[in-house]
Amino acid sequence: MQVESKSRSDLAGTVTAVVFILMACLALWDTTSMTDSDSYVFPRAIAAAMIVFCILLIAYNFIKRPADEAAGGTGSASTPRRVGLVAAMLGASLVMPWVGFLLSGFCAFGAIMLFAMYDPWTGRRRIVFPVAGLAIVLGFYTLFSKVLLVPLPVGVWFR
Amino acid sequence: MTGLDYLWQALTPLNVLLALAGVVAGTVIGSLPGLTATMAVAVLVPITFSMEPASALILMGAIYTGAIYGGAYAAILLNTPGTPSAIATTFDGYPMAKRGDGDLAITLACVSSVVGGLIGAAFLLGLAPPLAEVALAFGPVEYFWLAVFGLTLISALSEGNLLKGLIGACFGLLLACIGVAEISADIRFTFGSQVLLGGIETVSALIGLYCIPVMIDLVATPDRHLKVTQQPRGFRLKEALAISWLGKFNLIRSSVIGTLVGILPGAGGSIAGLVAYSEARRSSKRSAFFGKGEPEGVQATESANNATVGGGFIPTLVLGIPGTPPDAVILGALLIQGVRTGPSLFTENGAIVYTFIYGLILATVLMLPAGLVIGRYAYKSIITVPKAILVPTVAFMTMIGTYAIRNSISDVVIMIVLGVVGWFLNRFGFSPSPIVLGLILGRIAEQGFVQAWTIGAATEDLTGMFFGRPISLVIILFTLISLFYPLIRKHWATTGGTANAG
Repeated sequence: MQVESKSRSDLAGTVTAVVFILMACLALWDTTSMTDSDSYVFPRAIAAAMIVFCILLIAYNFIKRPADEAAGGTGSASTPRRVGLVAAMLGASLVMPWVGFLLSGFCAFGAIMLFAMYDPWTGRRRIVFPVAGLAIVLGFYTLFSKVLLVPLPVGVWFR
Repeated sequence: MTGLDYLWQALTPLNVLLALAGVVAGTVIGSLPGLTATMAVAVLVPITFSMEPASALILMGAIYTGAIYGGAYAAILLNTPGTPSAIATTFDGYPMAKRGDGDLAITLACVSSVVGGLIGAAFLLGLAPPLAEVALAFGPVEYFWLAVFGLTLISALSEGNLLKGLIGACFGLLLACIGVAEISADIRFTFGSQVLLGGIETVSALIGLYCIPVMIDLVATPDRHLKVTQQPRGFRLKEALAISWLGKFNLIRSSVIGTLVGILPGAGGSIAGLVAYSEARRSSKRSAFFGKGEPEGVQATESANNATVGGGFIPTLVLGIPGTPPDAVILGALLIQGVRTGPSLFTENGAIVYTFIYGLILATVLMLPAGLVIGRYAYKSIITVPKAILVPTVAFMTMIGTYAIRNSISDVVIMIVLGVVGWFLNRFGFSPSPIVLGLILGRIAEQGFVQAWTIGAATEDLTGMFFGRPISLVIILFTLISLFYPLIRKHWATTGGTANAG
């Protein structure tokens, strides 16, 4: 097993290093619009260092072809659920200015609950879980908006 | 009045009640990702306006110390630092929780926090005026070298893949440059976007990089979040005390580091925790186990970050310069109350200062029972709550907590995007810790570097500016030791082994 893994090249690491090089080049290009040396000295130095480290990593991967420790297949893990979680969080954040924090929070909570549910939906769970979700969202909303006085968005549709 | 009188004054029923309430409130607020110790103190400051100055200080100190400890819960149980001070607690706390020792990690964090808090308070009580001079001796170049010293931790955090760690740190340093430059006020790397104008908020980035990847993986499988043992094991206090006794030198050293870093204005608990962790790892016989659930790692960070509470009060009270961000809020509250801080505070207003210091010690001691009970409850909740409730609750907490930092939806979006980026990078072998390290230390390093460069250029002595100051040289020496110690140790082990074999 170990021999197998050792022979695998770190393709993901190499591709990521190329992406980082492009990112550093973009950063270097952006610094050309800065006039004050105080603004560009530090980011230029970091971007240059990043390019050097990335080139070293790519070269190292070509020469050594080490095992990629972190990367791996998703196995039995569910990609749609992963995407669903991120989409629910991002979606709720993006519609927040229109529908407000409370409603977007309820929707995100409900959607993520569905994605995270692996047990069968028994009659009890159908009632208890949504009620618990409602209480949690309302509880945190009240704590932040009423006790900690955080101005959570109300939403333009409800003004 | 003698020290004993001040102690009795601190022990009035009202002050004891305030200390307990402050510790509990601070611990709960600190445990929520996104709510920092600064916010905990700021939110509860108005309550103190009608109080006696000493009682007000005790309440604020208790909230502060409780919040710093509370950050450990989310760090250990959710891999999300509740406060930036708890970043390094995630390194070993979360692996401990994953293998079923979350209860032990929380109790250990509590004991370590109490020890760190007491040592910090003892320094404040006995050595405040002379130690305050240290704060004044630190110029921009010393801050720059301190940040560089913190960055050497990358070599420890990127075990087996230093290049990836360095690339991650550069990525974090570049992220720290986004927005308006602190010195020249130039707009950098926003590419015309209004969203990026305010820069990447550190706490939201922490939440995104640490917590979102955990949730993405959590939702993908039916497995339990943490390993659960069947038999109830209580607080595991005996075990934690035994570990603490064995690691007493680590605890003391980390607490002293925390106190000294706390004295430096603007450095804060996150840097204290990182420096203490780095030192604990370097000097430990079990350094190979750091990052894999080593209790010594939790001890080091939790004692150091709580020691910054006492340390931070030293320049705040003696010089009127806040050592940490929560100290700045407390300083403001004191000025509103008419208490003028400065060297004369200890002589002219000794009753207030010494009553407060004893109150802080009292609050730290009360943190042990309060922290153990709240910690036990937090642990039980995390392991018993069904995944279908836990994941959306944590997701909602990260969103509301991130929003609350700057009342910004953009921060929430940035947090989620950074989380997804962090998840991918983690899969490709780029650990989030060097990125976070770069993000936190980037601003300090840049500010120190540019200021030192400007002064050095103006005085036509750049070399002397960067390499000619005694404190700088000491930090450079520590940096070099930290960088090359693993190699030196390996060399010693090899030569020693050869000698023994011979």
